[in-house]
Amino acid sequence: MQDAWLMPAIPGAAFVILLLFGKYLPRKGDWLSIAAMAASFVIFFPVLADLLDKVDTEGFTGGGKSWEWISFDTFTIRLGFFTDQITIVMLGVVSFVALMVQVYSVGYMKGDSRYGWYFTCMSLFAASMLTLVLADNLLLLYAGWEAVGFCSFLLIGFWWEKRSAAEAAKKAFITTRIGDVGFLIGIIMLWKQAGTFDISDIFQFAAAGGYDSTYLTAAVLFLFAGAVGKSGQFPLHVWLPDAMEGPTPVSALIHAATMVVAGVYMVARMFPLFQLADPVALDVVLGLGLTTVVLSATMGLVATDIKRVIAYSTLNSLGLMFVALGAGSTTGAMFYLFVHGFFKALLFLASGSVIHATDRQDINDLGGLAAKMPLTAAVFGIGTLSMIGIVPLSGFWAKDEILHSARDAESAIIYVIVLASVAVTALYMTRLYVRTFFFQPRDRQAREHAHDAPLLMSAPLLLLAALTLVSGFLVFDGVGEALGFPGGIGKFVFAEEAEAFKFSWEVALASTAVALGGLLAGFAIWQEDAQPAKRLGERFRPVYELLFHRYYVDEVYQWAINHIVLFAGSVLAWFDRNIVNDTGVDGSAGLTYLSGFQMKFLETGKLPNYALAISLGVIVIAILFLVLKA
Amino acid sequence: MIPINDFLVLSAILFSLGMYGVLARRSAVLILMSVELMLQAVSINFITFAVYLSPEQFTGVIFALFVITVAAAEVGLALAIILRLYRNKQTANVDEADIMKW
Repeated sequence: MQDAWLMPAIPGAAFVILLLFGKYLPRKGDWLSIAAMAASFVIFFPVLADLLDKVDTEGFTGGGKSWEWISFDTFTIRLGFFTDQITIVMLGVVSFVALMVQVYSVGYMKGDSRYGWYFTCMSLFAASMLTLVLADNLLLLYAGWEAVGFCSFLLIGFWWEKRSAAEAAKKAFITTRIGDVGFLIGIIMLWKQAGTFDISDIFQFAAAGGYDSTYLTAAVLFLFAGAVGKSGQFPLHVWLPDAMEGPTPVSALIHAATMVVAGVYMVARMFPLFQLADPVALDVVLGLGLTTVVLSATMGLVATDIKRVIAYSTLNSLGLMFVALGAGSTTGAMFYLFVHGFFKALLFLASGSVIHATDRQDINDLGGLAAKMPLTAAVFGIGTLSMIGIVPLSGFWAKDEILHSARDAESAIIYVIVLASVAVTALYMTRLYVRTFFFQPRDRQAREHAHDAPLLMSAPLLLLAALTLVSGFLVFDGVGEALGFPGGIGKFVFAEEAEAFKFSWEVALASTAVALGGLLAGFAIWQEDAQPAKRLGERFRPVYELLFHRYYVDEVYQWAINHIVLFAGSVLAWFDRNIVNDTGVDGSAGLTYLSGFQMKFLETGKLPNYALAISLGVIVIAILFLVLKA
Repeated sequence: MIPINDFLVLSAILFSLGMYGVLARRSAVLILMSVELMLQAVSINFITFAVYLSPEQFTGVIFALFVITVAAAEVGLALAIILRLYRNKQTANVDEADIMKW
């Protein structure tokens, strides 16, 4: 654990080298970025082993290393890296998926004009994300948080010559910034009372009753605002679907497996504070999570861009994680985060293979690709089934945990809604799969040259598919025990909860039933040329329109921007131009100029005038002198 | 003994005459002469105060000597300038030397 800081440091160093000398390196330095990521991933294992060693000692709450960062007389901020059981889950996901995605990118980005810059950004992203995960104080966490947002901005707008990409990058950055302001306010509120940014010190302070209950509730809600922005929860979810303008591996890494789950991770990390605060805080988390689940699942039904559908499924998954958190189960949320990292990255990378092979990404142009791309179809299928939650794939076990916590929540409505969302998820994921891989191709040209990706791109797909298949089994204590985790993964990671993983036939059967129902319905509706889907669309025209326009959320925001933000902006611009600039700055300069211009005519060049002026001046001074002296 | 006021009045009259000359005359040479008058008025003041107020010290008298010396040097310089002016403009009228302005 002492060496955990190397995990962000190595990609960080690679970033610096690539930024300065990337142009002169062979292959523009992609190997350096990948090697740094691999080194980071390798270091993960000693860190894990060290943690496993020490976790049994009495009173263990994690460990790490820290340096003095900023120091005033009595107040110091430390630069610290900290590892505990929750961190290790995130570390594993981030370092592994980042490595897979970078390897895949070598094939996907080949021949791009900014190939080197891509890997530079990727290194910076890995360094900032790992810093975010390992940070032991809120200030460093916030720095990592903003840095990943910045990388996301760079990579969404990677092809900035395309106007839509540039706009999407801007939208993502600004939308998440809105949440981030809240996050910063929350951090400052916590610091103001506790006098420290250190997370464990803040926990101690809070546990000792240092915060007033209302104050703490407000503070954690502000923290949650940051998570809402970063993790694309309603009402700040609008940026994530647009973020699909970036290269597909970027979507896999940043907008599926790592950065967007940073919000979930942050809430899980700060969970003791949420528990100490008024229950209202967790109700807000639950409510927004549930809203996001409903909105994203239904919007996924009508989206036609292959990546957008997966983006909606990501929103859906993130919503589920917040439902779990809101229901008080960090176990469910973190376990879902863990498996979601694998199968969602798999889905994105597989869809990247489809896009790479066909140059199309609208599912209306695809179809019938299964025969041409069997490997891609197979791994995509595994990812889809996992997302739907079919036993025994990892998604099933993780979703089961969340359904459990939803069932145990106060209201039965929550359970019903989550179950319904499982069915809808099955429906749109089936639609995506069927429309892409089965039946007749709608654009024959697209299918013509389609082929499976080369080995370099397929290997990460296969590894991720394998993990999607098996990672769910970690719920069984026996499996965890065999891997060296005392008492199973659940007890290890979530030692504070009495029963980490739960399982009941009732929930499992219910979820399997609705998932299979959705799956079969999907097959029935979107078979061949999707006539039933068209009929349904006609029949429920208003609903279709509503979904197609994404509940008009974007329109409402656009209206607000046009009428409120731009109006306020124009008032300020007027004030700035007329009062500050023209009157204040230009006005004083003009006054000086004008008086100088007028005064210069006093100089006539005639000697007697000067002599008179001198004489009068002396006389005036003499009179003044006399008067003042008297 | 002659009262001090007589000397001061004489000095003031001389100074005023000099000032009038400086302001009213247009010929550079006359202006220069008027300036000399003003300087000598000051010298008279110096000597008067030296004799009447602190007869045991020579400060004021020495100052007067300085003024005379400096005035002589200054006249040399000023006459040279006036000579240049006359060479260039064929006149010593200061009203016609007015191009040093904006």
